[in-house]
Amino acid sequence: METNGTPQTKAGDWRSYNRVLLPPVEDLHKLEVYEEEENGYGRLRTVLEDDALDSDEIINIVKQSGLRGRGGAAFSTGMKWSFMPDKDERPRYLACNADESEPGTFKDRQIMEYNPHLMFEGILIAGYALQIDTCYVYVRGEYTDWISHMATELQKAYEKGYVGENIMGSDFSMEIVLHKGAGAYICGEETSLMESVEGKRGYPRYKPPFPAQKGIFGCPTTINNVETLACVPLIMEEGADWFANTGAEDHPGPVLYGISGHVNRPGVYEYPTGMLITDLIEEVAGGVRGGKDLKAFVPGGASTPPIPADRIGGVTMNSNSLNEAGTMFGTGGMLILDEDTDMVSWLRRVTHFFQDESCGQCTPCREGTGWLENLVTRIDQGEGNMRDLDLLLDLCDQMEGRTICAFADAASWPVRYTVQRFREDFEAKCKPSVHPVSAEVSGGADSAVAATE
Amino acid sequence: MSSFDVQRPIVELPDQNPDPAFSDDELVWTDAEKEQIEAWKDQYAEDQGAIMKVLWLAQEKFGYLPPEVIKFCGETLDMTFSQAYGVATFYHQYYKEEKGEFVLDVCTCFTCQVCGGYDILHYLEEKLGIHAGETTDDGMFTLQEAECLGACGSAPMMEVSNGPYVHQLTKEKVDALIDSLKDGKMPAFTSVTLPQDEDEMGGNRRTDAEQTTTYETQPRGEHME
Ligand SMILES: Cc1cc2nc3c(=O)[nH]c(=O)nc-3n(C[C@H](O)[C@H](O)[C@H](O)COP(=O)(O)O)c2cc1C
Ligand code: SF4
Ligand code: FES
Repeated sequence: METNGTPQTKAGDWRSYNRVLLPPVEDLHKLEVYEEEENGYGRLRTVLEDDALDSDEIINIVKQSGLRGRGGAAFSTGMKWSFMPDKDERPRYLACNADESEPGTFKDRQIMEYNPHLMFEGILIAGYALQIDTCYVYVRGEYTDWISHMATELQKAYEKGYVGENIMGSDFSMEIVLHKGAGAYICGEETSLMESVEGKRGYPRYKPPFPAQKGIFGCPTTINNVETLACVPLIMEEGADWFANTGAEDHPGPVLYGISGHVNRPGVYEYPTGMLITDLIEEVAGGVRGGKDLKAFVPGGASTPPIPADRIGGVTMNSNSLNEAGTMFGTGGMLILDEDTDMVSWLRRVTHFFQDESCGQCTPCREGTGWLENLVTRIDQGEGNMRDLDLLLDLCDQMEGRTICAFADAASWPVRYTVQRFREDFEAKCKPSVHPVSAEVSGGADSAVAATE
Repeated sequence: MSSFDVQRPIVELPDQNPDPAFSDDELVWTDAEKEQIEAWKDQYAEDQGAIMKVLWLAQEKFGYLPPEVIKFCGETLDMTFSQAYGVATFYHQYYKEEKGEFVLDVCTCFTCQVCGGYDILHYLEEKLGIHAGETTDDGMFTLQEAECLGACGSAPMMEVSNGPYVHQLTKEKVDALIDSLKDGKMPAFTSVTLPQDEDEMGGNRRTDAEQTTTYETQPRGEHME
């Protein structure tokens, strides 16, 4: 990637960046502090009072800001909002996706704990723009402590008249309901989430119809991630241009990077998008622990393909750059793996996760995730054959794009790319092939790449 | 990839179970609970939307969800047994059988795996004399292997009884935790401060958190066997 000279960050002067999603304000989670220090609910008031800021205008501003969803797919938020049909007699719903179950992701929880009102204000502005009646905040069941924390703060917002009937004396009314999940990764998938809100098993639905047409209880629905919605008041305050000019052009804005694994200083950091991965690892997170070398880097949760250390030079944290490097932004939950990591046993646990969490509706996914785990386990235990590697890749082909939801793709990508990119690790654990293999057939690390990429 | 015994019914139907754990007299809501459930029903266009909350309530009240309790929850919302049972069995956190007094969910997923999650799990297995998935004979502890719990920056970690998180586990920390649980003391909520907060505002930003810690990486642990 380092084609012309020194690698360039797209995050500008990030060392002097001032945080906006999680600004350094003591007790910001308290409504009083949020109102006083951060113009809390002031953006909502402006939206409600300013006639020029009608529904279309807000959607336009969000479109212009270039905001892309922070839940994993990085889809344009303004675009998604514009899919909502004209208001008819049906109620309309918003779902705030706080399921945060993608392994490696722990950033939404920081907003829920430290700045929940920013999320609520974002929900209300989105709700006003999309004429929403009720927003369900779908929080994973394990976040018990954070749910009660948010319930307390939400109650205060209700008492202040920021949520509920005739908000701030306007004719806009909207409810916010906290919905506690109960431990199912798949409920983060938008259609599964809708089923779960309806009180059913979290089985994803076929699309179309898309949620905007037929969502929760068959009514128009929009689903956005916590961090996505938390960006909305900031865009309203600082303007679409400010947002669009923060970070990388194709994927702008402030973003929460959740850094974990073998680094000296893990944690959630707020910086603009477009940070160089090397800056994030070496400078922000204090480098790889124990002075070791980096082996692999996973940019945004277990579903995003890992990339080997020798390919991260010059790559920045925005969709275009990551896609070029053969991976995705995902949730921004980055995992750093040092040189001692056994990629086979790491992948084995990842395949176990997907096997455990498949909802079981589609045969390629239900059976495929089990076979992925079986095969990787066999290799990890030293019982695997060289041909199992190609069997794994073949299995991935059979799963991708053949199921109701994107879970099966998410389960196969880490397998496909870990096997391709760390093939030596896998070959070293397999039983040696009894047949001599010419170098042309098995070209080492990249042999499978040529066959499938 | 599940295995089931053709001879054994998959579900013990509540009305066919000669020896239910809870009698009809026990399966009642208090007035306060009834009021709460009514309020939940109002939050959804269809009453069924409240089933997850009702199941949570029942689990708190009865400890776990045997078929008769699931049936009771379903009836509260005019759902059939199969509908309610379908929901209860879909989600990991609803306990379908009796668990120990404390349930230890040790994360061994993803980040926790490469930061020693299995060391912690195995240490607990030895300490408690049980395997993951089992309950100690005295009914005190159930040990479980969990998927990512959303606290990867403070790996390895665990959740106690669907409640508080315990971060950055070490053997010493596990010993202390087990001792205090034996005394009936649940761990306090811990706020994990952001590294940028440490630099910019001297650490914890919450004055109301019972306990705080910082994100840090544990000494290297080994992977799964
Ligand atoms: C298997 C699967 C799991 C997902 N889990 C989550 C999740 O935990 N949190 C989340 O915000 N989005 C999750 N998503 C993405 C959602 O389907 C949806 O795209 C997102 O919530 C939309 O919000 P955004 O546009 O603001 O990103 C998941 C998607 C899939 C396929
Ligand atoms: S792809 Fe997997 S998780 Fe998604 S609906 Fe099909 S079986 Fe369920
Ligand atoms: S991997 Fe253990 S909390 Fe995320």
